[in-house]
Amino acid sequence: MRKMNWVKKVVTQIILFIVGLYVIIPIWGAIRLAFDGSLKSRPIEFRLFPEVFSLKPLLATLDRPYQSVDFSVLLRNSMIVSLGAALIALVLGASLAYAFARYRFPGKKPALFLLLLAAMLPPVAFMTPLYIVLSILHLRTTLLGLTLVYATFALPFCIWNMRAGFQSVSKELEEAAFLDGANSLLTFWYISLPLALPAITIAGLLSFLMGYSEFAMGWLFVSKADTVTLAMSIYAMVQTGNAQPWSILASMFIIMSIPIVLVFVILQNTLLDRMLFTTQKSGN
Amino acid sequence: MKNKNATVVIFWILSALIVAGLAGYIRWHALTTLNVDYDEDDYLRAAQQFTTIFRTGDWQALKDTNYRPEHPPLAKIVFGISLLPLPERPLIPDRPTSAGPNQYLPKDLLRNARITSAVFGTLTAALVALVNPIGGFFLAIHAFTTKYVSQVMLEALPALTSFLTALFYVKWKKRKGKGTGWLLLSGLFLGLTAASKYVYCVVGVAILVDWIIDAANKREARKIIVPIFFWGVFSVLIFFAANPYFWADPIGRLKETLLYYSSYSTTASEVTSAGYPFWQPLVYLFSTPKAWQPDAILVALDPLITLFAIVGFKRQMQKQSLYPIWVIVALVFLFIYPVKWPQYIVILTAPLCITAGEGAKTLILDPVSRWFAKMRSSKNSSRTHESQDTKAALPWLVPGFTIFLVFTILPLIFQIGVSFTNFNSISIKDGFEGGIFREVFGGIAGRIKPVITDFPFREKTVGYIGVNAYPTVLNFLTDNGFLFFDLFWTITSVAVQTLLGLIVALLLWQKNVFFKKGWEILFILPWAIPEMIGALMWVNVFAPETGWLSLGVSQFGGSFPFAFLNGWQDSSSMRLLVLLIAGVWYGFPFMMLAASAGLKLLPKEVYDAAAIDGANSVNIFRWITWPMLLPLLIPAVIVRSIFAFNQFYLFQVFQTGESTMAGLSYNFFNPSGYFINGQFAISAVINVITVGFLILFVSLLNKWNRTSEGVTYA
Repeated sequence: MRKMNWVKKVVTQIILFIVGLYVIIPIWGAIRLAFDGSLKSRPIEFRLFPEVFSLKPLLATLDRPYQSVDFSVLLRNSMIVSLGAALIALVLGASLAYAFARYRFPGKKPALFLLLLAAMLPPVAFMTPLYIVLSILHLRTTLLGLTLVYATFALPFCIWNMRAGFQSVSKELEEAAFLDGANSLLTFWYISLPLALPAITIAGLLSFLMGYSEFAMGWLFVSKADTVTLAMSIYAMVQTGNAQPWSILASMFIIMSIPIVLVFVILQNTLLDRMLFTTQKSGN
Repeated sequence: MKNKNATVVIFWILSALIVAGLAGYIRWHALTTLNVDYDEDDYLRAAQQFTTIFRTGDWQALKDTNYRPEHPPLAKIVFGISLLPLPERPLIPDRPTSAGPNQYLPKDLLRNARITSAVFGTLTAALVALVNPIGGFFLAIHAFTTKYVSQVMLEALPALTSFLTALFYVKWKKRKGKGTGWLLLSGLFLGLTAASKYVYCVVGVAILVDWIIDAANKREARKIIVPIFFWGVFSVLIFFAANPYFWADPIGRLKETLLYYSSYSTTASEVTSAGYPFWQPLVYLFSTPKAWQPDAILVALDPLITLFAIVGFKRQMQKQSLYPIWVIVALVFLFIYPVKWPQYIVILTAPLCITAGEGAKTLILDPVSRWFAKMRSSKNSSRTHESQDTKAALPWLVPGFTIFLVFTILPLIFQIGVSFTNFNSISIKDGFEGGIFREVFGGIAGRIKPVITDFPFREKTVGYIGVNAYPTVLNFLTDNGFLFFDLFWTITSVAVQTLLGLIVALLLWQKNVFFKKGWEILFILPWAIPEMIGALMWVNVFAPETGWLSLGVSQFGGSFPFAFLNGWQDSSSMRLLVLLIAGVWYGFPFMMLAASAGLKLLPKEVYDAAAIDGANSVNIFRWITWPMLLPLLIPAVIVRSIFAFNQFYLFQVFQTGESTMAGLSYNFFNPSGYFINGQFAISAVINVITVGFLILFVSLLNKWNRTSEGVTYA
């Protein structure tokens, strides 16, 4: 329809290149540090490339990046907390999400508004009450406590997204199951849940990411070295400053980001839909 | 019909009288309690000189008398008249403009001059009430305006005359060009405004802009040249007539004034040392002068008025465009003008309050009246279908709502309870052992009287303080610029990332873009990297001394790219720029994806038709792409705005001192923080306020999503 002439093409590429540079500069800054084996502490001169290219910092990070804590322990804590929070949010949120997706009941509109509002609140808004309640229950400094905290942050958003998933399942299928004599629980278990599974997985993934990359609330709640998560350890390393090579810190950035980047690149459109708080365009 | 008209007239007059009473009361209180401010001694001295002239009848001296000649003499002459009934006092000493306030001024002179100001200030509010009663109410309670029109400052008279300039122009505009008398009156008051204080002439520029836009819309540009010319010439004549200081040597005196302004704004020590960023006028609009002297300012709701004005902007634009245009023209002028004294915002508070009046109608009056109408109509509708459904929903609803209640609603309600106490890290033991519940329930039941606690809270046992913390915290948020910064950050960062995201999406949307997929994946990266890590990567670039930029500049000197950004941490504009660079980096990919998704939905046929008609790409974008894309982009913009409003990790990592409300709440809370720490109750108050703002945002999102069929309440 519109053939681009070459001037347009060149200008396009130049602008894209500039934006690309903007995107890559900070990332490259981290990569250059992560693979520099010569750093003892903070960098003291400007370099575009590592002075001594080495995989050592990366391997050291994978072994014991933070104080006396093994990487495996940090990873384990991160996984317990984030996966736990995602699972709790999914399981506990499912029934309300299904009710919102399938039924009409009085007060539904204000309830949905409340849900959307809660999903939009910053985690900080839940900090005060959670801190107090978990302290009273003596759970505040435990991994279970932190899991519950992250689950609370994720729950409203998770319910909102699962509701979208259930809405995309066609009502006719459910009605057919109903006519065949299945009760509503059976219909849910054998029809709605499997069909909504992809959407539910995405909801779980986003809940997981919330816990995975959270550090500030984490430090308010847990403080012992063996309950620290990956994200928290990064922040602690920033705070302690120059005590260790900055290549370790930069390696940590890269190790933590890679899995998420892969997921985002693969699932970009679905994730975008979820984050826009829209419902699935098929169905309904 | 006649009766109805009479009712309307009575309503307007009554509301103007009420507003005048309120404005008068508030200004009277201010003028009797306010301490002497900078410049009041100067203008009182100037007034005394004029009083002497009137007493002696030495009219020739008028031509050479104008103490502080940078401002024309009219307002000072009026002050001089107000001193006539009083006995003569020795002339107040001459001091430099940078000198501190002189607290030893003769009380009777000060009082008469201040009353004169306040009368003009009250009149302005009453006149505004005739245009928009709610607007008049807002101007009556506007704290910054109250302060400066209740002192011996040059603000009150030109504020009144500039409003009359606008009022008579609007009168003329409504008569569609008939009634030249109104236009002459407008010119008259513009001249008088100029003869009191020059900055107030922005109303003239605003009128010109409005005039030209109006004429362009009606395609009668030629018709307006003559009236504009006469209006302008007439006001210049009035300016000279009301400005005896210019009579002897008009050109020389004009030159002297202009020279003064160009040197004062760039060299005067009090101007250059203030170091305000260009957006400082906005900071004033989102704060109040309450903290300067709490007993003198009765009401301090300026930030709320500004918010109402933002909401009402569009509606006021349709109703009477001059007032919003006036606000914008004045703001642009104040952004450019290097001198940023707080009293300058008085040049725009009258139109601001009128626009805010429209906003209050949109936000409060209309929803209330709609709700009433709905209540009346919905009484008869049936609910049988719904109740059948409800029964089937119960097995899902009961566990679902129980969990939602326990995990989400109860914590938020509990938070409101905590915000009524002075709970802090020192009273933590008492609090955890039941102190919070004891105080909250006791307080709400009325068994415990609220105690007054000084901020920051350091009591050993929890105490019920009622809502006492709210005004304190709100004033803290507004007067230290936190609320303003949060909103300013939300708007600027989202605007820039939307623009960048849109540009990139449009570029990639073209046909046959080389390396398209590669670019796309590259641009998604910042979105996929956790915010904290992205922010830390930018800290690695910008950190003073250790960052890439700083190392580069110290090694290669000023020719290093972006060297001008080095030392950014010392200036608030540069800090904002650096935060924007990092914040936009993280945020633009989302907008790019949202725009790309929207572009894919646009129908191809329209473009084919446009191509056949030979439209160029600019026209295609302006008339086809943009109008179709906009509704698809708005939900994304609102989601990003909410995110930016709550943005936390970026500020936590950069630690520049700038912060959103979420960041502030965290740092107040953090028992081991570097800020005023362990203030659990204060943090709860901030969170409750944040929830209030988010309710507004989410309502907007809901409204837009419903119109663009995104969120469906199926």
